[in-house]
Amino acid sequence: MDRTIKASCLKVQYQTGNYAVEAVRGASFTLREGKSLGIVGESGSGKTSLALALMGLIDKPHNSSGELMLFGESYLGLSEVKQKHHRWSTIAMMFQNSMEVLNPVMTIGDQLTEKLKERKTISSGQAGREAERLLQLTGLEGWEAKAFPHQLSGGMRQRVLLAMAIAPKPRFLILDEPTSSLDGLAKQDMIRTILSLQKKMDFAMLVISHDVKLIGGLTQEVMVMYGGHIIEKGFTDAVMEKPMHPYTRGLFNASVELSPHKDLWGIPGEYNGNEVHKGCAFYNRCSQRISLCCEQTPELKSVSIEREIACHQKGLINVLRGEAITKHYQIGNRSIPALRKACMNLRHGETIAMVGPSGSGKSTFAKILAGFIQPDEGQVLFNEKKNDLQQLACCEGGVQLVLQDPFSALSHRMTVEEVISEPLKLNGIGNELSRCKRVKETLKALQLDDCEAFLKRYTSSLSGGQRQRVAIARALVMNPKVLIADEITSMLDVSTQANVLRLLKGLQNKNGFALLFITHDLNLARKVADQLLILDRGSVAEEGSAGRILQNSDESQCADMLKAGLADG
Amino acid sequence: MGKKLEYLITFLVILSLNFGLPRMMPGDPFLYISGDDNDIPVEYSREQIEYYREYYGMDQPIYKQYGGYISDLARGDLGFSYTHREKVSRLIINRLPWTFLLVASSMLLSLFLGIGLGTYSAWKRNQWKDSLLYSLIMILSEIPAFLIGLALLVIFAAGLDWFPLSGAKTHFAVYASNWQHGMDIAKHAVLPVITLTIARTGGIYLMVRNSLATVLTKDFMRTARAKGLKEHRIRYVHALRNALLPLITRIAMQLGGLVGGAVLVENVFSYPGLGTLMTTAVAYRDYPLLQGIFLAIGTTVVLANLCADMLYQKADPRIGQGVQRK
Repeated sequence: MDRTIKASCLKVQYQTGNYAVEAVRGASFTLREGKSLGIVGESGSGKTSLALALMGLIDKPHNSSGELMLFGESYLGLSEVKQKHHRWSTIAMMFQNSMEVLNPVMTIGDQLTEKLKERKTISSGQAGREAERLLQLTGLEGWEAKAFPHQLSGGMRQRVLLAMAIAPKPRFLILDEPTSSLDGLAKQDMIRTILSLQKKMDFAMLVISHDVKLIGGLTQEVMVMYGGHIIEKGFTDAVMEKPMHPYTRGLFNASVELSPHKDLWGIPGEYNGNEVHKGCAFYNRCSQRISLCCEQTPELKSVSIEREIACHQKGLINVLRGEAITKHYQIGNRSIPALRKACMNLRHGETIAMVGPSGSGKSTFAKILAGFIQPDEGQVLFNEKKNDLQQLACCEGGVQLVLQDPFSALSHRMTVEEVISEPLKLNGIGNELSRCKRVKETLKALQLDDCEAFLKRYTSSLSGGQRQRVAIARALVMNPKVLIADEITSMLDVSTQANVLRLLKGLQNKNGFALLFITHDLNLARKVADQLLILDRGSVAEEGSAGRILQNSDESQCADMLKAGLADG
Repeated sequence: MGKKLEYLITFLVILSLNFGLPRMMPGDPFLYISGDDNDIPVEYSREQIEYYREYYGMDQPIYKQYGGYISDLARGDLGFSYTHREKVSRLIINRLPWTFLLVASSMLLSLFLGIGLGTYSAWKRNQWKDSLLYSLIMILSEIPAFLIGLALLVIFAAGLDWFPLSGAKTHFAVYASNWQHGMDIAKHAVLPVITLTIARTGGIYLMVRNSLATVLTKDFMRTARAKGLKEHRIRYVHALRNALLPLITRIAMQLGGLVGGAVLVENVFSYPGLGTLMTTAVAYRDYPLLQGIFLAIGTTVVLANLCADMLYQKADPRIGQGVQRK
């Protein structure tokens, strides 16, 4: 017997007036009995439409197409009358909570059991007890059966919806935002209730939510939806640890549940649903787009084991990769190891915080990655190619380095304009006029004055914060793909540090350069980093999602260091 | 408590209007006191008018008349009709059942039709069947009731002779059985009831159609459909029950209008209800009779509103207290 649920090529089209809006553009998945699959995505991404299409609830004049095979039997191919037979028996749905999701003039008990009574699974006499039993299964007391919907709180209503969904003992349950109106504690409780019910009743589960944490708690696999497309699919843990699609990463960066300590950054721009486009739905918000993305819709393709991505660039590009880098310093006749087979992979638009105690090899690693010194062994790849790294610093779209001390990094004999336009001038980029324009734009982006008076000022007359911003401007004027920031805020006062960091992250969010942020301050790393790389005595002690490592610092190999370094450790 | 006070105040306002309105009409009850419709009106001499004014207490100051009216009412005395020379209460009690017959049967009929057609239309919304029905009913309900009455009278009574021309039953008839008696009454009532029904169905139809259309977009309708419930349960238990809530108040509020419509229609069919009685009362400025009729109508409307209030509380659990927790 077939024990799977297979959805293939589901499409939903809403007809509004004369034109159609495509809400779901071809979604397919397979789900085994007793397993669970999550769908995440921002509002308007088509999650709920997909669920309604699965239930066969998209009405005329709107259209839906595609097939859903329930345990080897076609469901969506059936007539409305035959679908009804399966509804609320094989397939059921826990609707999103709203004031009017339950009929206001019927008691909870009636609504819970009406289908069972219609099927004659239970008699009218048993209905009252059955309703109470169902309510108790979901953590309510049972008296709620006699109440009307308006007499219940949002959280109670949510549990009633769950009770209603499991009443017919479905084999496939769709949950739409099952915890949207619950507080933290109740949310945990709800997750436990759902999981225990699943264990008891062995139904397959499709969980729809924008709450990434919830999906993490309830599902083994996850699909990420954007603009009606499935753009990433994989095991939930793996996707959360290392999202591969630029949108998925953006979504996780914007999710407070995943990284409660990190600064939140939304994805710039907005999904343009009305625009008729043939390219990638994420095109207008993506910072690593290429011309192909505008012309052709990427298909969901497998990029690694159990991971599929819809992206022409195969997901986030590896912009800077250090492979097994070893470096020794000769002091006298002793060879001091500074780095031992250290690896690092920096992806497009990503922030990696490289942390470690002093003497762990951070600065050496940074200088090797920036191409200032050569490693003894190993190689550095830029855009997956072995380039002359010296050359990369000299051209646009390359690697730029900003150093700790803005006082010695900028020549005090040069004006602001000279400092910032110097790299352009030296490398012969643009003419006098266009260079001046770019300098002014960069200054503005860094919230510095772009008037003549400021341009003509000598850097010696600037404050520390201004100098560091000018130093960053000098790096950014070259539009780098990678910015290596070596302890750039350690000499600034806290307020200036906050300003500089927010500016830098904001520019990164907008322009999409990757940032290697070297610091010894773990609290700062927690604020800015997507990924964390801990160096200890020249080798990588731990690397991975910053949120995961720092939230579970006890399990880390460097638990002592993390504990000592974190403010609340 | 608040509700009771509200109704008391409403009732007092009705009483005052009853008293005031007839007296605000131009004319005087004693200009034409006698005579049937076709008689040459007999004019009274000055002395006679003075006499009658004194006899009926009309010479007293207005506040005294008002006080008298209220105290008489309190004793259940509605006064004595100038023209009919009979007690107003008796006159009204004689005529009331006929009007009640018309109003109640047309109300039931139009409810039945309005809800049925409205539901049908809402379910076929945006299809040609709905559009056709909608336009037809809109046109019919825009025609004034008395015109429809006249048309029906001309075609079915005068032309085809299927129904009697006027009255509530055949004069001087001797009935062999109660059944025959009932049939005769029914036959007389058919045309006026149809007229009133046509005039009233439009409003109810529109209300049900629009209210259902709103209900159909609600989330709980989707929930009901997702549950795969039987079609009639979705339509009549989940949808209609919610859609009918506004209808309850609407009907109560319409009742006044319905009685008003009945007055006109009764005159078209010379039906011996309150309507025809009112026409004569207005013509002869029969203050006590007018007051009595207004009071009867006003009381019915207030009572209907009271019923609607109570019914609404029963039908919509969100109003009032609802269920008590154990």
